[in-house]
Amino acid sequence: MGHALKWWQTIKISWSNHTAYRMNFFLQVIGPALVFFFVKYNLWSSIYSDESVEIIKGYTLSQMIDYHVWAMIVGLLAKGHSALNLSEDIRLGRISNFLIYPFNFWEFHTASFLSFQILQTIIVSISICIFWSLGILSIPSASILMSGFLYCLFVSCFWYTLQYLTGLVGFWLEETWILRVILEILTAFLSGAIIPLELYPKWFVSILEWTPFPYLTYFPIKTFMGQNSELIASYSVVTIWIIIFCFINHIIWKRGIKLYTGAGM
Amino acid sequence: MKNLKQTIFYYLKVYEKFVSTSISVGVSFRTSFTLLLLMDLFFYFSTLLSVNFIYDHIQMIGPWDKNHLLFFISFMLGIDHLHMTLVSESFWELSHSIRTGDLDFALIKPANSVFSVFFRYFRPSTIINIFVVWTFIIYYGIQVKLEPLSWVLLPFLMFLGFFLFVVIEFNIAASMFWLKEGLGINFLRMQLQQLARWPNFIYASIARKFLTVCLPILLVGSGPIHFLYDYGKWPLILSMVAASIVFLFILKFVWRSALRHYNSASS
Amino acid sequence: MKKTVIYSQKLEKKFTSYKKEPGLLGSLKSLFVRNYITKKAVKDFNLDIKQGEIIGLLGPNGAGKTTLMKMFTGIVVPSEGTLKILGYTPSERDRLFRKKIALVMGQKSQLWWDIPAMDSFLLLQRFYEIEESQFQKRIKTMSELLDVDDLLHIHVRKLSLGERMKMELMASLIHSPEIIFLDEPTIGLDLISQENIRNFIKEYHQKNKCTIIVTSHYMADVQALCERLVLIFDGEKTFDGPLSKFETILGKEKNVTFNFSSPQDPTLDLWSSFEAQWDSHKIQVDLRIPEDKLRSVALNIIKDFPVTEFNTEKMPIERVMKTLMKNPQIVKQLNGNNGPHELNGRN
Repeated sequence: MGHALKWWQTIKISWSNHTAYRMNFFLQVIGPALVFFFVKYNLWSSIYSDESVEIIKGYTLSQMIDYHVWAMIVGLLAKGHSALNLSEDIRLGRISNFLIYPFNFWEFHTASFLSFQILQTIIVSISICIFWSLGILSIPSASILMSGFLYCLFVSCFWYTLQYLTGLVGFWLEETWILRVILEILTAFLSGAIIPLELYPKWFVSILEWTPFPYLTYFPIKTFMGQNSELIASYSVVTIWIIIFCFINHIIWKRGIKLYTGAGM
Repeated sequence: MKNLKQTIFYYLKVYEKFVSTSISVGVSFRTSFTLLLLMDLFFYFSTLLSVNFIYDHIQMIGPWDKNHLLFFISFMLGIDHLHMTLVSESFWELSHSIRTGDLDFALIKPANSVFSVFFRYFRPSTIINIFVVWTFIIYYGIQVKLEPLSWVLLPFLMFLGFFLFVVIEFNIAASMFWLKEGLGINFLRMQLQQLARWPNFIYASIARKFLTVCLPILLVGSGPIHFLYDYGKWPLILSMVAASIVFLFILKFVWRSALRHYNSASS
Repeated sequence: MKKTVIYSQKLEKKFTSYKKEPGLLGSLKSLFVRNYITKKAVKDFNLDIKQGEIIGLLGPNGAGKTTLMKMFTGIVVPSEGTLKILGYTPSERDRLFRKKIALVMGQKSQLWWDIPAMDSFLLLQRFYEIEESQFQKRIKTMSELLDVDDLLHIHVRKLSLGERMKMELMASLIHSPEIIFLDEPTIGLDLISQENIRNFIKEYHQKNKCTIIVTSHYMADVQALCERLVLIFDGEKTFDGPLSKFETILGKEKNVTFNFSSPQDPTLDLWSSFEAQWDSHKIQVDLRIPEDKLRSVALNIIKDFPVTEFNTEKMPIERVMKTLMKNPQIVKQLNGNNGPHELNGRN
């Protein structure tokens, strides 16, 4: 009971941190997603405006736009969180506090992640309503929408373990933001966030299927569009990746903390 | 005239030290140095490949075929490269130094504060990527059969585009003084870069007008490239010059009031 | 009559911030509505400082010292009033003005963390256009005075706090400024380092005849360096006068402490007339004795009681400062008695 209270309190505190600089939050989290969508909306509208183009790899214009709206939603819901605070805690030596507190480092950051996800869920729900009422987004059915939400929240846990890893590297590296940007660039390109994976060369996609990337954007989008027939497989694959990265993080943390307490930096 | 020469000389000498101190710092962190280099390479390749993949299924986007667009993209990567090397780090440092109050030290130095704020940090690692970027530019330049005069003008136009873009960015960055937490503004800047990285004709007319006239970031790349493909489009270059001057003037006022507003993070 | 280098009249600075209610609801609310509050960090501040003075600017945390320093250096723009430094208006940030001032902040660093201090000095040389021979000479004299000549080429992050502070001082003084603002230059340093920094400042001042404004919470700094003190409470100037005058604003009595070999009777008349403060074992007493009676009273006590040790207070300003900080209203009362505006020792 006491422990649950700590979690709740931490969630509340990080909520205030997220909302303290309102302008900032908008520009950092929501703005980029909107602009990214805006560019792709214009790009594809312009491509389809050519009369010879009607269907590209099974996508009509409105399906293509749907894909990109969902890509934005998935980006916010599954891949919004960043481990900036985590790496700062390590770099600036605030980690020492956690060695004394009766609340673990990972618990603190996971609580902070949870509060971020609550905020994102609210924002995403509003966004979906707006895009739907503007008529640029078609929603197959309420149950498919729910299933997409659930899958995204599950994927967000995987994203969190990846982010956590980039943060932990702070034990060794001065500037972990570079790793996070690399992760972002690679996922945007390899997960189908820039263009649908159907448009990629066949051989390229068959390699990608062995990596976790498609599960970060492409499969969640397909779930929202009601086209993911292998939902159970999608969940299982993500589960396996989560377990793998939790394990890696655990080992990295152990090594890092040894270095930290040993060197007393 | 002599005065101007002295001033230029003064700033060059200070800048030389900015560069040399940045290099000493940059090379002392070897992992970051390498990762930064890789980061840009990933970015270049993913951008170019994405466009390539789209053209696997279509012939034209607007008036441009694959090579036309890829030359444009390479040109924008060239500007991005200049940006990453010369100014990018300073923007991030600015938001940090406003929050911590370290900006105080920059402000009491006897040099123009726009200069010492925005050109303070030079990224030595990204300079190496110049070979990669220019390989793309030259390759696609040959593909689109640029004329000899265009090749000569190319570096100047790239610099003009870069200049216009950073002057607009300086104006935007000045708003960090009011927001206290400037990280968001840096994300806003990056969004503008994102918008400018695509040719102007893909945007719907209202957006295009706004981003050409009011906030002329679409001129940055589309101006020079349209001109290089068709010299009849010289008014675009003229408007870039005009826009640069206008935004330089605006900066003068914006910066002054930003400094007036600066309440350094005091103890 | 020396010329005035710092002059302010009715100087004022306002800051605005907003209040946030605690908790989730408060955060949500602050997304939309904010209650802004204005605070005057400095108000109605008049000051006149002559060339070559060393002034101690004292006050509790948050009294407005740093804001004042930042207005003097042109970093923060005053909301109202006149401010002239060396004839310049600091907020106009004239290039020549900036060449003549220096700011050292004990809590911040202008040196680059990841390179040796010398590299930062070389950059400053370019900034201030210092001739090579002059530059070398200044580096040499200062590094010898501070005893850091072997540290110039070591990465700043590897230096101790005391060593780094010395480098900060060098960095700020490399252009021979006419006015030096030192904001808590000894904060966080050990006793020896504090003393080193103090001695350096003192020596530097004697050699260069510059004007120095220093803030510090360590009364030892103030005692050693400053001839004149300016006290600021809650943004207002409450005292401005020589150190000697400040020491006696609570009365001309001396504080004397006596230790005895055996417990004494604290009820004697002798003690009560000198505001005696006893320890719990009754073997130590603090007395406040008027200056003119000090000799006779002390002699009597030594003669009549088993005194093992006695001493007079080393740093009366520390006691005065403590008393004033605990009871800021005392200053107001004293001001009420002494004049309409402020306790001004100079008039």
